[in-house]
Amino acid sequence: MVRREEPRAFVHPRRFIAFGVVIAVVFSALTARLYDLEIVRGDYYHDLSEQNRILRLPVAAERGGITDRRGYVLARNVPGFAVSVIPVDLPRPRETELFQRLGAVLGLPSDAVGDAVRTQRQRNPYEPVRISKTPVPREIAFAITERAELFPGVRVDPESIRLYVNGTLYSPVIGYTGPITEDELGKLRDQGYLGDDDIGRTGIESIYERYLRGTYGWREIERDAAQREIKTLALRQPVVGNTIVLTIDDRLQKLIDAELRKGVEEDRFTQAVGIAMNPQNGEILAMVSIPGYDNNMFARGITTSELAALNADDRHPLVNKAVGDQYPAGSTFKMVTGLSALSEGTATRSTTVNVSAMSFSVSGTTFYDWRAHGTLDFVTGFAHSSDIYFYTLAAGTPFAPNVRGVGPDAIAKYGKMLGFGSPTGIDLPNEASGIMPDPEWKLATQDEPWTIGNTYQEAIGQGFVAVTPLQLLNAYASVANGGTLWQPHLLKQVTSPTGTAIPIPQAKPIRKLDMTQENLRLLRESARRVVTIGHAYMPNARLPIAGKTGTAEFGASSGRDSAGRNKLGFHNWFISFVPQADNSDPTAQIAMVLFTYDSSKSLCDNCFNPAVSMSQRILETYLLDTK
Amino acid sequence: MSVRPMELARPATPLHDRPVPRRWTEIDPILLIITLLLIAYGLVMTYSTTAETRTFTGDPMQFVIRGAIWAAVGLAVMTAVAMFDYAWLGTFAPVLYLVTLGLLAIVLQLGTASLGAQRSVNIAGLTFQFSEVAKILMIVVLAKYFADRRARIGSPLVMLFGLALLAPAVFLVYRQPDLGTSLVFIAIFFGIAFLAGARMWQLVGLVAIAAASFPVIWALLKDYQRARLSAFLDPYSDPQGAGWNIIQSLIAVGSGGATGKGLTAGTQSPLGYLPIAESDFVFAGLAEDLGFAGAIILFALYIVLLFAALRVAFRARDPFGMLIGGGIATMLVFQILVNVGMAISLMPVTGIPLPFISHGGSSLVSICFALGVLQSVSMRREPEGP
Repeated sequence: MVRREEPRAFVHPRRFIAFGVVIAVVFSALTARLYDLEIVRGDYYHDLSEQNRILRLPVAAERGGITDRRGYVLARNVPGFAVSVIPVDLPRPRETELFQRLGAVLGLPSDAVGDAVRTQRQRNPYEPVRISKTPVPREIAFAITERAELFPGVRVDPESIRLYVNGTLYSPVIGYTGPITEDELGKLRDQGYLGDDDIGRTGIESIYERYLRGTYGWREIERDAAQREIKTLALRQPVVGNTIVLTIDDRLQKLIDAELRKGVEEDRFTQAVGIAMNPQNGEILAMVSIPGYDNNMFARGITTSELAALNADDRHPLVNKAVGDQYPAGSTFKMVTGLSALSEGTATRSTTVNVSAMSFSVSGTTFYDWRAHGTLDFVTGFAHSSDIYFYTLAAGTPFAPNVRGVGPDAIAKYGKMLGFGSPTGIDLPNEASGIMPDPEWKLATQDEPWTIGNTYQEAIGQGFVAVTPLQLLNAYASVANGGTLWQPHLLKQVTSPTGTAIPIPQAKPIRKLDMTQENLRLLRESARRVVTIGHAYMPNARLPIAGKTGTAEFGASSGRDSAGRNKLGFHNWFISFVPQADNSDPTAQIAMVLFTYDSSKSLCDNCFNPAVSMSQRILETYLLDTK
Repeated sequence: MSVRPMELARPATPLHDRPVPRRWTEIDPILLIITLLLIAYGLVMTYSTTAETRTFTGDPMQFVIRGAIWAAVGLAVMTAVAMFDYAWLGTFAPVLYLVTLGLLAIVLQLGTASLGAQRSVNIAGLTFQFSEVAKILMIVVLAKYFADRRARIGSPLVMLFGLALLAPAVFLVYRQPDLGTSLVFIAIFFGIAFLAGARMWQLVGLVAIAAASFPVIWALLKDYQRARLSAFLDPYSDPQGAGWNIIQSLIAVGSGGATGKGLTAGTQSPLGYLPIAESDFVFAGLAEDLGFAGAIILFALYIVLLFAALRVAFRARDPFGMLIGGGIATMLVFQILVNVGMAISLMPVTGIPLPFISHGGSSLVSICFALGVLQSVSMRREPEGP
């Protein structure tokens, strides 16, 4: 049967040929594709494989520390921990349980934890996503690592927390750091900032970010597909940031703070500022602003309720009132009026005014003094802080028809010379500029002509005059040092991690006062007389302190504010400086302003300006008592 | 001359109508040499792609030794199978068919899940992929089927019944699920039917029907299979998910360049970027380590092997032998195309091993078994005509 046909008829040669052709086509296609991948685009894919394999990771550098002028540490870093989740290591059946547990431990809503993990799972499940928004304390970190079985997929890595020693005391000066924002990151990415970096937000931390931030290093690692590190291929160590030495003296800072804080606790006033500086070079020795806030809250991550509480306080604790807000200067401003009249020659040391009444009227408006002083010359007028004496110097009064007022333009000229109306340029952010008014200014801003009443008010630091405590202090310091208006500054030195000094801008004068030494000396003498015969009386004085009080009315003088504190309606100022030998030499080493806000009226014999006695205690303790 | 004493030959053995004694001289030497070379190449690649694993386990040659043992087993199987007349296989084809289905059913019942599929069975600590053996047995069954129906090959019924034979096996493999291997079964069917002389219009018609029913097939596919197909069309649509393997494989292959990074010097597979680098994606590892040159050498060995197999088929003494040879060649060329194509993104991702190179005993021993049958065919071919 089968034998009948051609023995090998079952072989179909053409089909074999076709089969062979298929094989040839298959291998040609494979070879062609391979040629394209390996020969034509080999370099491209080789680069890709290296990028796969090698990752350059930044290595964060520690931020530099901050100390006072004697090396007392004010800001440093302590170890904290960051908690992250690697989505791929988290079994899905357990994720709800983990989200709740982790949320409870970290104080976050479990939804937020879940969202972060799920988003990361979409993006790259092998890469850890940071869950803790703020550094986690040691106890919580250890609790997590010790019970790793309860926290699948969770990893804990060390990171550093900024710690502020005496946070509340120094927060107005030092400020704080905070997480970088998207906008900032956009600008600063080129300088090596990373998405989870902290950056100085305000105060010294912000102004001197460039010194404090260290130089980040990097690590080139070989990694596997699960992004696990296999080995380090290359490393550049990070360099710790520089240490900033402030001009602040911690001892003086604490003395001032203790006095002012006591006053607030005793409800003698609700807010207070104290600044001390070296008049010879503009170094700020102390800067206290009460109420402050604990900047450690920001370092560890401020909660919404904490921030809400700070914002709800109508004393504005987040504002450093030494530079950030402006107030009427009160009688302290008589120095400006006096120096204007002396410098323009409309008054001399012996210009006398017979203050025979407590008030007088001009164009229907009555102006008062606090008593009928009798005959006053420049020194006694300043010492007793006679308003009518300085009205007379500024604009003339019926009490001294022969004395010509120096006028508002001159007062503005010398006021600006003394630094009023513009920021001092201290190395702190958000400095207010104050207002040094003149007729032109009034016309421009109020659209009204200047009146003689404006001049009277200006003469005693009321009306439109607005100053920052620092401006006032700096103006007095320039008188105390013989005529140099220094730029106040907080930076004393920058030290590199190896201990060498980094060059910093030199302390520089803003200007030399265009005033005679004789007139400045007269002012210093008058300021000393304020203490010896005036109403800044200092019993048992151990130092030849000179100074000037000021009291400014600002509004409601009774009732209570939203927090139940007394509304007393007055600001009290006392600016003091300590001449070395006698009241006439220009070598004072310390000048200080104390400013108490919302305090009791002191414009009478019996009332007291709380700032005077506090100043005496602070200066005597600081300069005379054992250190 | 060519007249044979057919009457004498007739009842010599019940196995087949034309007994031809085995002649060792007719072993196909090219087939044998290429087989040995490919086994050696496979061991080298096992050495290279498992280099990093070795340092972790501390057992330096673990995988290579295991591969060598499997190679030895494979060569023994090949020798043994070659000694027997392949006609026995034809005689027991119905039994073999039941064995095939039985093995595949066992995998479904007892299989060990791995990467979401039950493809292997653990026996005495060893892992067996029965579908590898089933492929060879299916070649035998289909070769026997078409050889016996050579006279009526033009009948659509023969075609349909052949498909009916194939369908249960494809279904069982698909259920594992192992789409790739079920496609190998279908390819084998077409290869054998083609060489058996099936009508072209029938074959083309089947392909056309399959293409037309693609929407139905798509609906039957599992999610991950659809994802793989989508990823094949555009790997970067999901680079961290379904596209990951494809992208990383392309990077591995491309980064090999002309001559490769050197044995064990590849970075993609030891660092885990290349998944299943010793079996499914072994070609990517090979191309990374040995480059274009290494791949071309491999291709050359394959081509020679395939043409040697075709030559054996062409010279077989009977249709059964011819179709076995054709089936084996079909299986090899299809697996090479799919596996290599997958590594270089010409084909979607499926878990088909690369013959000889993928590390795995079942695959190697099954192929050795197939080549043993092929040698058996070769040894019993008609003496060269005068």
